[in-house]
Amino acid sequence: MKLIINIIIIFLISITLSAREIGETEITTEDGIEVFQNEKFYLLKQNVKIVSDSFTLSADEVKINFDESLYDISELDAYGNVDFNSNEFETSGSGNFLNFKVEVEKIKVEGEGSQLVTNDVKMFSDGFIEVNNLNGDFLLKGTNSKLINDNIIIKAETINGNFSEKANEKEITYLEVIDKNISYVKNNDTEMYAKKINFDHDTSIIELIDDVIIIRNEEKITGDYGTLDTRNNSYKIKSKNQNKVKVIIQNNE
Amino acid sequence: MNFFLHINRKFIILFGAIIIFLFLIIIFFKQINLNNNIIIEDTIKNSSNADISEPKFSINNNSKKIYITASQGNFINKDEVLLNENVRFKSNDFSIETEKVIFNRDKQTAKSKTKSMFKSKNATITSDGFNIHDKGNKIIFYGNSYIILK
Repeated sequence: MKLIINIIIIFLISITLSAREIGETEITTEDGIEVFQNEKFYLLKQNVKIVSDSFTLSADEVKINFDESLYDISELDAYGNVDFNSNEFETSGSGNFLNFKVEVEKIKVEGEGSQLVTNDVKMFSDGFIEVNNLNGDFLLKGTNSKLINDNIIIKAETINGNFSEKANEKEITYLEVIDKNISYVKNNDTEMYAKKINFDHDTSIIELIDDVIIIRNEEKITGDYGTLDTRNNSYKIKSKNQNKVKVIIQNNE
Repeated sequence: MNFFLHINRKFIILFGAIIIFLFLIIIFFKQINLNNNIIIEDTIKNSSNADISEPKFSINNNSKKIYITASQGNFINKDEVLLNENVRFKSNDFSIETEKVIFNRDKQTAKSKTKSMFKSKNATITSDGFNIHDKGNKIIFYGNSYIILK
């Protein structure tokens, strides 16, 4: 008897607490909403929480642009302590600022400690992270920018590239990595350093430009220019006139 | 043995009776409340010292017209009117309902500090008050606000 009563009480409380119905989006704010009818946007102020079936977002303030009416969201800007999770796009992230363009599925996370995490890729930056979900373009810019997936680790000031989805897995088709100090790419068992690192999926060649270092197993090769063929994992290093290609083979035995 | 086979039939009947009894009590009190409210409303209407009963105003801008209605209105000064009870703002796009609003006829602004409910196509906003200015273009909802987008 007690159990039945408890079940009924819990059921009644849960019905009362969950005001949002399936398919609806619930937004709460602590300091109100400003609606601009002609300009077609509204501002959500202080401790904003947005909850829908497949998306949650929290931020200090949010600006939402709409097309026809309030629910018809075209663009969202979130400011301060932004934290979001999208089940639909299997993406979560956080930062100081978020911009999401709904129609083109373009997302930008900005600020120190920004991060964007999908099923198979993790991106971090103190500048900004921009991803276009429709065409797969991505750009990370700023200090401590880093991209990690199962096969590759990239660290540089600028990481510009494109993902394509093959067999439900994201694959890098184009990559341009630049850092005025030094960029770092780790691919399988090879670590690469250079000021500029390019990759083209069609040629399968990683191109390393300026202050090149390739480290594999106990080998460390330095030079001014290098290429690594990802098909057979072979590499070539060249040097300018004054500098020589240097190979260091360590014997740890 | 299954848990539900342990449940005594008497308990189920008793439990059902309690639920029905509680339900009837709730309906009974709601009815009494409703009757009281109607009596109070009638009394207020009869003994009301409102300057205007059933006032109607409108806010006009280039693109739309917002109609304002209420049960009562009292002049605060030459331009401002305090609208009381069942105050309703209605345009083609939305409606707002609340209990008390100060409407400025000259500036075409409205300010409320009572619980308000905004309704538009597929969207509702509840707030602790609102402020309409810029001829209805800008609506500010105050305090803890809650939006449902359908």
